[in-house]
Amino acid sequence: MPRETFQQELDDLVAEVLSLGGEVEGSLENMVKAMETRDAGLANRELGVDVRYKGWGTKIDEESMILQARQAPVARDLRLLYTVQTVTNHLVRSGTLTEHICHVIVDTVESERDEELEATLIEMARTARTIFHEGLDIFKDRDIERARDLQAKDDRVDLLYSEALNLIANPSASGGGDPEWRMRAALIVHYLERIADHGVDIGGRTVFLVTGERIERAMQQYLERDLGEE
Amino acid sequence: MEMERTREERGVSEAENKPGIRKKTPEMSSVAGEPSALGMKIENLSAFYGSFKAVTDVSMDILINKVTAIIGPSGCGKSTFIRCLNRMHEAIPSARTEGCVMLEDQDIYAKEVDPVSIRRRIGMVFQKPNPFSKSIYENVAWGARINGYRGDMDELVERSLRRAALWDEVKDKLKKSGLDLSGGQQQRLCIARTLAVEPDVILMDEPASALDPVSTQKIEDTMADLKQRYTVVIVTHNMQQAARISDYTGFFYIEDMGDPGRLWEFDGTEKMFSNPNRKETEDYVTGRFG
Repeated sequence: MPRETFQQELDDLVAEVLSLGGEVEGSLENMVKAMETRDAGLANRELGVDVRYKGWGTKIDEESMILQARQAPVARDLRLLYTVQTVTNHLVRSGTLTEHICHVIVDTVESERDEELEATLIEMARTARTIFHEGLDIFKDRDIERARDLQAKDDRVDLLYSEALNLIANPSASGGGDPEWRMRAALIVHYLERIADHGVDIGGRTVFLVTGERIERAMQQYLERDLGEE
Repeated sequence: MEMERTREERGVSEAENKPGIRKKTPEMSSVAGEPSALGMKIENLSAFYGSFKAVTDVSMDILINKVTAIIGPSGCGKSTFIRCLNRMHEAIPSARTEGCVMLEDQDIYAKEVDPVSIRRRIGMVFQKPNPFSKSIYENVAWGARINGYRGDMDELVERSLRRAALWDEVKDKLKKSGLDLSGGQQQRLCIARTLAVEPDVILMDEPASALDPVSTQKIEDTMADLKQRYTVVIVTHNMQQAARISDYTGFFYIEDMGDPGRLWEFDGTEKMFSNPNRKETEDYVTGRFG
């Protein structure tokens, strides 16, 4: 096949993105475990990953730009490089947010907590982790059928988001835990919602990569359909 | 000296002063969804060399004031096709066409139509620049003069050279031979020569393939201006060139060795280079074959 070198460079670049994705997933996994077990030591291990992920993302961006400059890609090659850059950005951002959450876990390990709110945060974290994992899997396998299901899972995150904010704003009779913890919990809620969104968009970008069609329109139809049913 | 030139070259500039074909520009929807006037309509066009069918069953609309690029692997019939659009294909012994090519509302293959008058309205620029061994001025003026042009010839020469983006480079040496110019300048001189007879459509058969990158860029810049006034069809092997300069792109393809070339996919250039419908098109534009 002509352009073997170019194809190899594209394959290598995708492998690099998946490798970064795998590491971010590992961080996310540790974060969820640390939340579940209140394990500050485990969370502490993830502090500093942000710098590494950003450096890695920059390297992928540079390689992608060089390929664009040297190979003048079009059609699926162009879509792939565009998607690689977008997905990389999502991975790096998710890594950063994961580190932020780990910071909170370390900082508030001694704090008194509202158990109901904590349980909501943990469920939200698990769901975000699942969405992120599936988004990355969709990108890896180009399995766009699953991309549309991600939106439904994200709806669950949005619901938990509302529940968590409600619990933060209206603490239970037992007091709702330390004020500082409640405040930091609000940040965690926001970070988790973002991580889930990054996962959803990785799936959505894969739809664009494979079909050349934007998933946004399909998503909009989905959202409007749900609103209509209500 | 002109008599020694090939039939192709004569076709570019020789013309007769026949009454123009009545103009009609029916509105139609372009493939990109924006309304535009139809310049040429090709229906079920096939081209033969003797018994060999080189191109089969091509139907496409060429829109006015747009650049339509024809791409495809070697031997797929691109040049044969474009030569059918101004009846130059039949200049080759035993070559013939079937099907219909309409220039506005005129069938250019109708019996009463003189091919020379068609070649005046549909000019052609070739791969290799082929200026006459005359002065720069005469290269541009000659076609218009034998065509019965009665206006201000100096003005016509300057206007044509300006439109071909060559005026500034040659205005002080119009009496010098066209053959003294660089390859890129010669090609722009050939474009000016084509423009001087005021064609409706300009066909270009790989006009920049023999030129250096700077000259190529000048030709490409020229084309952006040309389409303000003319309808342009360009055959190119340079896919990035097609992507840069054209509004519409047709991909010609041969499915099996020995088959005639077909128009495999035809769409807006943005679509063809970002998300073509057919796998073969995508494989070709991404350089996976051809």
